[in-house]
Amino acid sequence: MIGPGIKRGTAELAVLSVLEDGPLHGYELARRIEQQTKGALRFTLAALYPMLYRMEQRGWIRGSWETSQQGRRRRCYRLTAAGKTKLSPLRKEWSELFSALRRLTKVSHA
Amino acid sequence: MRDWEAVVERRLKGLALGPAESAEVIAELAAHLAETCEELRRQGMTEEEAEQRSLAQVEDWQKLSRLIQSARTKENVMTNRVKQFWLPSLLTLFLSMSLLMLVQFFGPNPWVIARKSAWSLIAPVAVIYLPWLFSLPLIGAMGAYLSNRAGGSRRAMLSSIVFPVLPYFAFFLVALPVTAIFNDRLGHSIMFLALFVGLLAWVVAPAAALLTGGALVQLFLSRRLDARRIASS
Repeated sequence: MIGPGIKRGTAELAVLSVLEDGPLHGYELARRIEQQTKGALRFTLAALYPMLYRMEQRGWIRGSWETSQQGRRRRCYRLTAAGKTKLSPLRKEWSELFSALRRLTKVSHA
Repeated sequence: MRDWEAVVERRLKGLALGPAESAEVIAELAAHLAETCEELRRQGMTEEEAEQRSLAQVEDWQKLSRLIQSARTKENVMTNRVKQFWLPSLLTLFLSMSLLMLVQFFGPNPWVIARKSAWSLIAPVAVIYLPWLFSLPLIGAMGAYLSNRAGGSRRAMLSSIVFPVLPYFAFFLVALPVTAIFNDRLGHSIMFLALFVGLLAWVVAPAAALLTGGALVQLFLSRRLDARRIASS
């Protein structure tokens, strides 16, 4: 199980990565992240929305109201150009960190 | 079925955002809770259990309220202020000034004629002034729409609507009395009347015209928001 500190750091990367596949509303976004990480990353409402609003303020994502086929109004989030630009260095940073950790743990096991 | 918007609204009472922005946040969180509850019901929980589990996602609503407020305002106070007040204000000011200039340059040309009646004195000014005055509701509406779209409060919206008349107001409040005191060529006896007519023509009437357009937009937007709330409840 991943600890809360790492989760906080990876949360933005997770949201940006999932939104790269297409626009999603908050509930579906949380579900998708939970499914794709097999439950390792799980967002409650209290954790998700402050983060989404902060990311929206930074211009990485943009929310807009849409009506579903069932007639329910939901706010869908899309990745902006700034978000796409942010995603690639973020991915690189985390990839480097995980590679470093893998190397470190291998050394430790040896 | 539970009214989730009412539940969220009650619990997020301390949320100090503009009315439109608060309504958006409440609607969004309520939709999330409703979907969580429906999913838990599909998994076989009773309605009561599902509602409790949905609400258990938030341990401290006060804290959530603070986090949301901080996320939506703290990082970008300047940007919010710019979007909600300065941008609509400067746009309405620019448009109203430009329009006045355009009417002067390209509108009907006033003829200087011998004074035969009060109308012959007013008419040359009126051909420039009236088209400008009648276009102001549109500019006020634009200011209200832009401020509202950026999540501006009622005060920010009102200020950006009447912003174009502020330079005139400042002029009549400061410049004219100062001129009256220091310029001995002006007859002091006519200044009060000039001040009154000037205020009426360049501040009160334009402000009323701008506010008419702004109020119509505000009315339309608040009705649309009410309709959205009804639809999502």
